[in-house]
Amino acid sequence: MKREHQESGGGVGGYPAAEMMLSGKGKMTGMEEEHDGGVDELLAALGYKVRSSDMADVALKLEQLEMAMGSSAAQDDAFLSHLASDTVHYNPSDLSTWLESMLSELNAPPPPLPSAPIPKHQSNQLDLPPPPPVPAAAAPASILDPAECSTVTTVDLPTPRRQSEYDLKPIPSAATAAPGRVVYGPEATVELNARDRKRMRTSSSSSSSSRGGIGVGVVRGMGSSMPSATEASSMAAGPAAGALPVVVVDSQEAGIRLVHTLMACAEAVQQENLKAADALVKQISVLATSQGGAMRKVAGYFAEALARRIYRVHPQQDCALDSAFSDILQMHFYESCPYLKFAHFTANQAILEAFAGCRRVHVIDFGMRQGMQWPALMQALALRPGGPPSFRLTGIGPPQPDNTDALQQVGWKLAQFADTIHVDFQYRGYVANSLADLEPCMLGADAAGGCSSGGDEEPEAVAVNSVLELHRLLARPGALEKVLGTVRAVRPRIVTAVEQEANHNAGSFLERFTEALHYYSTMFDSLEGGCTATGAAAAAEVATGGGQQDRVMSEVYLGRQICNVVACEGAERTERHETLGQWRGRMTRAGFEPVHLGSNAFKQASMLLALFAGGDGYRVEEKDGCLTLGWHTRPLIATSAWRVAAAGDALSAAR
Amino acid sequence: MYRRSLFFFPSSPHTHRRKMGAAMFPLEGEEEEEERRSRFSINDNVDLLVEILGRLDGRSLGVAACVCRLWSSVCRRDSVWEALCNRHVAGGGGGPGTRSVVAALGGYRRLYRLCVGPALDRLAGWRGRAEWASAATAAHLSLSLSLSVSLLSIDCYERLDGPQASLLFLCKPVNVS
Repeated sequence: MKREHQESGGGVGGYPAAEMMLSGKGKMTGMEEEHDGGVDELLAALGYKVRSSDMADVALKLEQLEMAMGSSAAQDDAFLSHLASDTVHYNPSDLSTWLESMLSELNAPPPPLPSAPIPKHQSNQLDLPPPPPVPAAAAPASILDPAECSTVTTVDLPTPRRQSEYDLKPIPSAATAAPGRVVYGPEATVELNARDRKRMRTSSSSSSSSRGGIGVGVVRGMGSSMPSATEASSMAAGPAAGALPVVVVDSQEAGIRLVHTLMACAEAVQQENLKAADALVKQISVLATSQGGAMRKVAGYFAEALARRIYRVHPQQDCALDSAFSDILQMHFYESCPYLKFAHFTANQAILEAFAGCRRVHVIDFGMRQGMQWPALMQALALRPGGPPSFRLTGIGPPQPDNTDALQQVGWKLAQFADTIHVDFQYRGYVANSLADLEPCMLGADAAGGCSSGGDEEPEAVAVNSVLELHRLLARPGALEKVLGTVRAVRPRIVTAVEQEANHNAGSFLERFTEALHYYSTMFDSLEGGCTATGAAAAAEVATGGGQQDRVMSEVYLGRQICNVVACEGAERTERHETLGQWRGRMTRAGFEPVHLGSNAFKQASMLLALFAGGDGYRVEEKDGCLTLGWHTRPLIATSAWRVAAAGDALSAAR
Repeated sequence: MYRRSLFFFPSSPHTHRRKMGAAMFPLEGEEEEEERRSRFSINDNVDLLVEILGRLDGRSLGVAACVCRLWSSVCRRDSVWEALCNRHVAGGGGGPGTRSVVAALGGYRRLYRLCVGPALDRLAGWRGRAEWASAATAAHLSLSLSLSVSLLSIDCYERLDGPQASLLFLCKPVNVS
């Protein structure tokens, strides 16, 4: 467990020394050790090797240590900094030995030389030259309000090999009992001072986790369990001063610790414990730098969102500017990964099948943006046997910041395209702040002499399409029902809805946070995995630079969603994603029945993914007639099709 | 030997015929052989050339286009690429309606370059890989013409620069309000 991860800990990328500032930490050097027989299993799972026979003895020593530290309250800082910086302790996983060394430090004034025994293990850190002076980390000194914080996060230490690369000096450790752990300085000191005053409940998964020998991420109050007591009792040095050692972190453990810290912070926010949450957010930022790739970015965005929530900093409320910017971002998201393409293709397939045989068709698009969905549909209509119908498109969009008529421009472009392929095309754009402002007659509902234009030859077949738009309506109660009522009034042949497949709307903040963390981690993973292989059409033309830019902008796009899900509440929180099951319930209650997307759509989607997806991670699945696209086992986006239920079937369950 | 550029194109049936011819009549004199060869040139029969080159795969067509000006012009003909695309998409090609639409979107050569070619490469790559054996869908994946034309249409749309790109387009009344 511990040993394995330390051997594999060299996977951490080349972090420059300047990044891993930890103030005044004791650093325990990595160690290898034989696994003794008869070791207590629970502790072994956490990384401490204590013989079962020694348990009582170790417990006693821990209590002594705690008493000793607690008693020196007056000279805490001085004493602790002695212990932290002037002594060298080794192999904290061998608890009893380590405790003895700690106690001996306590009982005797700290000698100038390390006095702790060196168990036989690889400890070549001593031979390394001192590191170049590195600037002190400014953060820890100012992080905490000592009275409040009582959490400690530990970070793993490098393997000997890594240390030799980075020329690390063995830092006299007052580190935690767990091997390879580093304790953040002032927090731990404060922890000791505050441990009697405040016990913070942290997420239960962290301290008792026995996954793979990973130790405690966040410390519980003292006395709850041995590991935590041990950790709490190991203090860090006082505020940093002078040259600081560099600590390189084992990324795998740090990753898990990062997740734990994120959860702990969310829980703190839910409990309105804003000081603790504040401290944790900063820890998240530091931990995140130890990760690479997707996890780091996800953690960064979530940390930012949590910080916004804590400080009540609201994202700029300029909705118009937001919409223009988010259009651009969504274009990049469209290019960099297949979710939107999948959505467009499957929705188009459903609309195409619904329009079979109609000579006049009308599509209402609830989120017009750049109109990327419609060239493919127009082309498919042009290619169908019997020739293209006359195609009318109504686009709904938000108001633009500088009064440019973006909808009009998109309409021109689509008209030009339609002219190229000789499809009779009509376009109308509506600017609306919210879909709930729409009225049926605006959309051309021709109910008994309504306001529609052409009721002469043949009634037109109407399709309503909404890609990632319906969930916004959930922010205001009643809006969705009104919109669905409007849709029914238009009497569409088919309604296609594409939504994120996640539940970011129900339950407590912590549940939402957890769900969002999983969802967006998977999203970012898929971006990472897919960034190398861009689409077939794009591969020939896009240099890696363009692909990179697409990916970066897509991450910003997702980051804004994360921010909205985590930091906003009430009417501002528009990213209220719901799962397919929830949408099914809503649509059924509003009087719609599902239309199954056929196998043709499934095959097209699979083929599309085969062409465009980078790597084999994407999966198309069919779920009760709806198609979902996901990354490995997690569905991320779902396309569903609906039609107005026949009068007698309004109450029937979905087929 | 021959100065003809045909020599550099080993898969050309004409070369094979020549070789075969030489093998079948080994006792003929060199002069008569020269005479026979000089009477026939593939470059004189462009239609024949089109027929032959229309059976090549994409990469070979590209190579063929580098042979000489005539071959290059033949290889630029959309009909050659149309034949190639129709060979490889499921369900064969579409009718004349398809042809006009594809022509409007940029032509079969562009279709092949952007969609069909990369798709075929990718499919060929997978069929050789064991990992896809488990995914039953992979075996049945075949590119459909409609999908590839859809992709082409998106590409065409993205290339449109906006209303000011082509004023001719504005000559016809368009209902955009």
